[in-house]
Amino acid sequence: MKKQYLFLIVIAGFLTFFSACKKETGFKTLIITGQNNHNWKASSPILKQILDETGLFTSEIMITPDKGGDMSTFSPDFSKYKLVVLDYNGDSWSDKVKAGFTEYVKNGGGVVIYHAADNSFPEWKEYNEMTGLGGWGNRSEKDGPYVYYKNNVLVTDTSAGPGGTHGKRREYLVKTRITDHPITKGLPSRWLHGNDELYSLLRGPAKNMQILATAFADSAAGGGTMRDEPMLMTITYGNGRIFHTAMGHADEDGGPAMQCAGFITTLQRGAEWAVTGSVTQPVPSDFPSPAGTVLRSDYKEMTLEEAMANIGGYDIAKSTKYLTCLQSHIRNLAGDTQGLLNLEKMIVKVLNNSEATVEAKKLLLRELSWMGSDYSVPAIKDLTSNAELKDEAEFALSRLQTK
Amino acid sequence: MKNKSSRREFVKRSAAVVAGAIVLPQIIPSSALGMGRRIAPSDRIVIGAIGTGSQGMSNMRDFLGLKNGVQFVAVCDVDALHLAKAKETVDTAYKNSDCRTYGDYREFLEKEKLDAVSIALPDHWHGIIYSAAANKKLNVYGEKPICRTIKDGQNIVNSVKKNNIIWQTGSWQRSQPHFHRGAELAINGRVGKIKYIEVGLPDGNKGIGTPPVKDVPAELNWEMWLGPALKVPYRGVSHWDWRWILDYSGGQLTDWAGHHIDIANWGAGLEHTGPAEISGAGVYPVEGIFNVPVEYDFLCKYANGIEMRVANASRLPLGMGTTWHGDLGWVHVDRGNVISASDPKILNEVIGENEIRLYKSENHWQNFIDCVRSGKPAIAPVEVAYRAISVALLGEIAMTTGQTIKWDPDKEEIIGNPVASRLLNRPYRQPWTLPTV
Repeated sequence: MKKQYLFLIVIAGFLTFFSACKKETGFKTLIITGQNNHNWKASSPILKQILDETGLFTSEIMITPDKGGDMSTFSPDFSKYKLVVLDYNGDSWSDKVKAGFTEYVKNGGGVVIYHAADNSFPEWKEYNEMTGLGGWGNRSEKDGPYVYYKNNVLVTDTSAGPGGTHGKRREYLVKTRITDHPITKGLPSRWLHGNDELYSLLRGPAKNMQILATAFADSAAGGGTMRDEPMLMTITYGNGRIFHTAMGHADEDGGPAMQCAGFITTLQRGAEWAVTGSVTQPVPSDFPSPAGTVLRSDYKEMTLEEAMANIGGYDIAKSTKYLTCLQSHIRNLAGDTQGLLNLEKMIVKVLNNSEATVEAKKLLLRELSWMGSDYSVPAIKDLTSNAELKDEAEFALSRLQTK
Repeated sequence: MKNKSSRREFVKRSAAVVAGAIVLPQIIPSSALGMGRRIAPSDRIVIGAIGTGSQGMSNMRDFLGLKNGVQFVAVCDVDALHLAKAKETVDTAYKNSDCRTYGDYREFLEKEKLDAVSIALPDHWHGIIYSAAANKKLNVYGEKPICRTIKDGQNIVNSVKKNNIIWQTGSWQRSQPHFHRGAELAINGRVGKIKYIEVGLPDGNKGIGTPPVKDVPAELNWEMWLGPALKVPYRGVSHWDWRWILDYSGGQLTDWAGHHIDIANWGAGLEHTGPAEISGAGVYPVEGIFNVPVEYDFLCKYANGIEMRVANASRLPLGMGTTWHGDLGWVHVDRGNVISASDPKILNEVIGENEIRLYKSENHWQNFIDCVRSGKPAIAPVEVAYRAISVALLGEIAMTTGQTIKWDPDKEEIIGNPVASRLLNRPYRQPWTLPTV
């Protein structure tokens, strides 16, 4: 008996040890918020969820005093963190905190500048060098040039004028300008972003900055500069790396700009790059394309299990998103016979399920027609006697049995 | 043989005599006059059209515009409104009301005595109707891409060859001087030995989501429109937009393969072969009925060492068009008379008489008619068209499977991958079958 208890204790000890290890592998991340002309109460927990979801970050939210409050009580120890995310646009920090933050970045700390955080601190020179570009806060030619693309040429424009504007909120096409950067590698060259503010006329020092992606601010779509405005940027400052996303305007419930799988993915990848200089996360199966926006109501990527659990409910008026998730998994397997057989078994389960719809089975038979094996043949043969599925079943058999 | 004798039963009809119109006592296919393949220059080519949507009508207008050209006598379409418009166009041109109309190509091919047929249909119909027209010994002007699958393509090529007809693909860029010039510079080594080719085709579009199922409009024979493709409910999507749905097309990639890939092959001497290895990736819509890749990017390696990258324009430095890169420089061609080079001097190069002179045509539709008269091959023959679309179809297979595909361009088989090989074919819905050669 005693031996058994000892064994359990040892096991428990190991579990504690491993879970502690796991915790430590998550990069300690500080999300600073508390003042913003945007809905920070909605956005900051979503940012935390998006980052923690990757398993790469363990983040905590630090809320500053309210606007006009005593900012001297705000004194984070940046050195404890690998990443600082700014969801903050408000009162100036104390000189000590500013100096601490500058030191943190210079020493190689990672930073994410999120949406209106690039409006913040117009007077703080170092901060503006970290964001590269900013807007509002009486920014003008004194703060640096406008930077944008015009007819696919990168323009640095020193002309006089205010910094920062946006037209009506809209869905807009994001164009990848640097395709071989760790953050953008493997992403589509263009993708449609969920309804958002399209930040324009940003200006700033723009030193050590790369524009990874832009969006065309079309005047016909509710006001715009007719320029391709920077949306995703990287900046280096000392040894520090900064990822700047101008996207992600928050509604009460987050809303389409934050739910956009493109916003979420680029934020996750940008955050990882800011910490390590590389990106290990695969491009998710639901990354949007130019064909349409992809909104995640729960900010999570759909899993294969979720797709297969729901695919049987497909009907002609419903979304094909479960099917396309499956297709993406098939592509990612790249001919791995065992992996494909596992998927095939999941598909056959749906075919054999009397609750699954005819329309779902039609779609699945098309997939099986090429990626299936002998394993599915009996199930498909069964369906040839079903008048509604006969054509698709014969289609699948004909292809599967091609010599 | 039986076919041939039936073609000698002349169609006897009187054409309406209208002032100003060319009066023909009878409209008889010239090839039926016992002259074999040669047709006298003075004789009009008796032609019909299958598929009279946007591209079919565009071709019809091009044919009608030829000076010494054609006589349209019949049109065929599964959409009664398209059909009526086509008849009206023909009748207006001839100032009569003689143009006959068909809703079923089988009846059209059975009843009409023609020299040639102009065919412009959704890709999923090409395998059957191109082969059937060739089997009727009709000379064919056929729209690109000539097939939806490699298997369809092989059948079409064999049908055209066996029946010894004149074939012209709607790859009309070949008949434009600057594409010809670019290809001739490339194939004669003016950029050095060709190492790498970049082909930029259009970016994919926004989707339309999942439109509700609708009643099929009275004018449309939906069953016949679908033909060999799997039956799906009508959602108001048929004409033109079929090209965004994998059942009927491969999207911009396959739609444009017959243009810029064809030109790439022409200038690199790859017209009669195919790649040995194909790998790449596509970006697919996450939902909606439009399911073709909206981005695509794949690399083809040829046995002779040449590499060809095919991608949507946004992914390439020079965007749309064909660029041949050699060890001495590059030449780029695109629509809108675009021709440019790494060194402008390349563009002034003279191609000598003893160098490779590529086939020259000033007008793509006239070239077809001239060849029907002379019996000589047209500028865009069938096998060349098959090789151009094969590149795109193999790219599609590489992207669908996520695998590197090995292809034997001589045997026209995928090597060592029975799963990917299944994608060379898209089985037909009963009762449709590929016409045997």
